[in-house]
Amino acid sequence: MTATKPILLAEDNPRDAELALAAMEEYHLADKVILCHDGAEVLDYLYCRGQFKTRLHGNPAVVFLDLKMPKIDGLEVLRTIKSDETLKPIPVVMLTSSREERDLAESYALGANAYVVKPVEFHQFLKAVKELGIFWGVINEPPPEVPGRHKS
Amino acid sequence: MQDLQREHAPPSETRGGVPHTRGEDRSGSRRSFAERLVVAFQRWSIERRVLVGFGLVFAGILVISAVSYRNMTVLFRNTHQDQRSHELIELLVGMGTRMDEAEIGHRRYLVTGDESYLKGFHILDERIPDYIRYARELTRDIPEQRQHVDLLNQLMQKQLEAERAAITLRGRTGFEGVRDIALTGVAKAELEEFHRIQAQMEHDENRSIYGRGIQSAAITRNTIGLLSVGAFLLFVLLASVYYLIRHDITERRRVAAELERRGELLEAANKELEAFSYSVSHDLRAPLRHIDGYASLLEKSAQQLLDDKSKRYLQTISESATRMGQLIDDLLVFSRMGRQEMLRSAVNLDQLVKSVLHDLRHDMQDRNISWSIGALPEVKGDPAMLRQVFSNLIGNAVKFTNTRPLATIEIGSDQSSPAETVIFVRDNGVGFDMQYAGKLFGVFQRLHRANEFEGTGIGLANVRRIIHRHGGRTWAESELGRGATFFFSLPTKMEST
Repeated sequence: MTATKPILLAEDNPRDAELALAAMEEYHLADKVILCHDGAEVLDYLYCRGQFKTRLHGNPAVVFLDLKMPKIDGLEVLRTIKSDETLKPIPVVMLTSSREERDLAESYALGANAYVVKPVEFHQFLKAVKELGIFWGVINEPPPEVPGRHKS
Repeated sequence: MQDLQREHAPPSETRGGVPHTRGEDRSGSRRSFAERLVVAFQRWSIERRVLVGFGLVFAGILVISAVSYRNMTVLFRNTHQDQRSHELIELLVGMGTRMDEAEIGHRRYLVTGDESYLKGFHILDERIPDYIRYARELTRDIPEQRQHVDLLNQLMQKQLEAERAAITLRGRTGFEGVRDIALTGVAKAELEEFHRIQAQMEHDENRSIYGRGIQSAAITRNTIGLLSVGAFLLFVLLASVYYLIRHDITERRRVAAELERRGELLEAANKELEAFSYSVSHDLRAPLRHIDGYASLLEKSAQQLLDDKSKRYLQTISESATRMGQLIDDLLVFSRMGRQEMLRSAVNLDQLVKSVLHDLRHDMQDRNISWSIGALPEVKGDPAMLRQVFSNLIGNAVKFTNTRPLATIEIGSDQSSPAETVIFVRDNGVGFDMQYAGKLFGVFQRLHRANEFEGTGIGLANVRRIIHRHGGRTWAESELGRGATFFFSLPTKMEST
């Protein structure tokens, strides 16, 4: 069951996205990744609306959230997810450049499941993304589906 | 007041100087003297000017008070003496009258034999000692008058004796025996002399009264003048105090407003700095990650095409990006260290050092280090920040002794000063040249080449910043090649920012 669940990656920077996908590719996880370019797209995906209107229903295995994104930023998306009963169980991992205490504190206060600072060094970045992908996408058992209002 | 004087002095100088072209030598020398005075005055500090000004005014008021007091004393004495003079004059008149009454009465008795006429004589006889005692007392301080009183006494006694003799004679012989005496009177000369001396004394006293009157009037005028000057000085003093207080209050208000303005500016600057470092933290790291990431991807995808040289170039690109990432991180930590709220709690340094050593154990693998850790005190401060200090200092000691087969690192404290606790970390590492000691604690200052010892050079800058925020000092002693000792002090009473 876990193998079929997608990994949602919210990353506005195409280079970061490419690097992340390159990392995922190492473990053949890349085809499971759904890339969103801003916070609004993430919410569209989660609520099956806009370009994701026709997608298969069901929550992703994990959401990797960047903090700084256009339109709706990471913290806002996190707040929305964690205040929605249906979305709440989705594990959310903050994947960001910021090591600021403020961001850390706020993310955890809003209910983030993990907080990972993107390492500058590519090999470490690779390692981090790979491990995250393996852990959240393969090892971790996601919460069972709860019927919600946006489900048919 | 000093400012008033300073402001007012120069115009009066120029006013005094310009029109007096004649007699130039005199006014010129005076002016230069006054100018010198003004210059000397202006060179003084405001406190000194205030002190001197107030001193002068106080001295003036003191002198005026002393002179006025003396004047008042003289006036009182004069009044008192006038009273005595008047009493003396009255007494003399009274004595003269009694003398006359006694003389007339005794002559009537001589003629008539009626003893009731002797009343005046008896009164005089009875009262002479009193009169004389009183007169002596009133003339106690005036020798001439006192002599006159003695003379009067003699004359009165003589007169009295003569009259008494005549009365006795009348009693024995009847009217016929004293007929001549009754017609001419006895001791006529003495009586006349008495009146003459009495008049003389009255005259003298009146002259004294007059003299004192003139003196009193002069003194009164003098006193009024002095008191006016005193009142003026007091007014000047009060005006100066008012001016100084008002000036002080205005200044305080200005300073308070200025402080508030600067506080706002500082707050704004801090906010901006925070936004800046936030942006650095977010945005500067991303391109570095990309540089390293794409360099790595390129290296991987073009592995077959690249020669060793090109691979090394790519390696260097990656390393540089990584290093810049490290520098940015360090700088952010350093910047945060200056802004972060500081805790003030009791910190057990023994435990802190133990836990720092535990954290550093990976750096000390395969190392032969002899530790000597003295008893460390409990201090007041921010535990996380102090931990950073020990982490940096001990980390440095470990790092810079890695060329030694046996490294010795000593950590200890000196609590001999009551004001501060000194902590030191001593090693037998490579040390440094003392001529660079001043650069040691600067941001990104390194005394060794990058390939000798790794590091960005932020550690000691952080140490200094943290210790400064705790109100302490940092310093180091070393000899090149013979180890180094790093000291820092923490005040026993915390009152820093």
